[in-house]
Amino acid sequence: MAAPQKLPTPEIVSALVGATVTRVEQLSGGASSATFAVDAVTADGAAWPLILQCAATGSVPEGGLPRADQARLQQRAFERGLPVAEVVRVLTPEDGLGEAYVMARLPGEALAPKWLKLPEYAPARAAMTRQCADVLARLHQLPISVADGLALPSGSTAQSLDRMFSNYRRFGVDSPVFDLAFAWLRERVADRPPTNIVHGDFRSGNFLVAPDGLVAVLDWELAHLGDGHEDLGWLCCNSWRFGVWDRPVGGFGQRDELYAAYEAAGGGPVDRERAAFWEVFGTLKWGIACLQLGDDHVSGRLRNVERAAIGRRVSEVELDLMHLFKFGSV
Amino acid sequence: MAEQIEATTLIEAVQLFLAELEPELKGRRAFHAKVAGNALAIVARELAQQPQAREQALLAGVMGHDAPLDTLRTQMCEQLRAGTMGAATPGLVDALLAVALGKCGVDNPRYATFKRLAV
Repeated sequence: MAAPQKLPTPEIVSALVGATVTRVEQLSGGASSATFAVDAVTADGAAWPLILQCAATGSVPEGGLPRADQARLQQRAFERGLPVAEVVRVLTPEDGLGEAYVMARLPGEALAPKWLKLPEYAPARAAMTRQCADVLARLHQLPISVADGLALPSGSTAQSLDRMFSNYRRFGVDSPVFDLAFAWLRERVADRPPTNIVHGDFRSGNFLVAPDGLVAVLDWELAHLGDGHEDLGWLCCNSWRFGVWDRPVGGFGQRDELYAAYEAAGGGPVDRERAAFWEVFGTLKWGIACLQLGDDHVSGRLRNVERAAIGRRVSEVELDLMHLFKFGSV
Repeated sequence: MAEQIEATTLIEAVQLFLAELEPELKGRRAFHAKVAGNALAIVARELAQQPQAREQALLAGVMGHDAPLDTLRTQMCEQLRAGTMGAATPGLVDALLAVALGKCGVDNPRYATFKRLAV
């Protein structure tokens, strides 16, 4: 793990954004990344709420999207009218805060269990399926040249599946359910070349939501070039429904409504079997992520009770996969 | 009762201690204390339910021979990777569903899919 960066003081952040900064407060963060709320004031005295996202240099895994490119992609999405936070500044290594960028801090609820359950978000829940379909349709319509010059990972569907299998085998764990899922996916994989910019982590936990609907799509760090249907499948994984299993679209909507709205917004025809393929792929991918997080503890990379406990969430994924194979869906 | 203080009693005592500690903790520490309490609850359920004994029996049934659980798991995975076993293998899907249900019942009995199936 890289050495910790210097701490962003109001003076440092003020110099970065070219405005007076009255407060810098760490919101969350662990060993390799941290998020800070920044209160700045523009020259004409208006409040300018910002977020500073910092990560230790080298914390992006090999083959991952470099943080500066993540910020640039987010900004290109913003410029094309997608609901994302405007990126104000991409930092350079000379700024001394690691791989970092500054973006607008938008009002909204990021905790999915809250906006999925609280009564005041009922209008948002009613609108979210169409809004998500709309965002994905617009994102997937962008020509992949929009990502020119950015180091977005890229691969065909078969390559993604091979990579996920290699990742699984790294941990030396034998899960018959996971191997059954790999066999199921291999039987159905159509080796499509990458045709779309894929958000890669488009799920309920990565939305900023106001009582009347979607404010912004967060966390573009897993963006890549691939099959746009991957985002449709991932959005429907049971892991992101937070218990509202009978609303497969993120815990708030139905697949038919999502697909119809996606087609109506110009996303192109939805192939249901391909979307189902990606839903199984995504469920398995989350299971392997749980193995990886558990391995943080087992390997000593990051020993703590949270990492150890999350390793036990593998059994949630195994149960979802078996429900799928037994009953056709989850 | 074999012991005055059974393993489960110790687990409960540590859970009680963590609950006492929690109001004094903030942020990441408070969160980890909550996670630690949940982890102990998993241990208590695993001691009570012994899901591995049932898993071993179910996998042995599908494989057609007896062996330690780790061996059975490895052998089944190898066959699934080689394509010599699959969803069409008699009893495999039902056995793996039962195993998954047993494990999730220990790890997170509040999980929606567990509640759907465990009625």
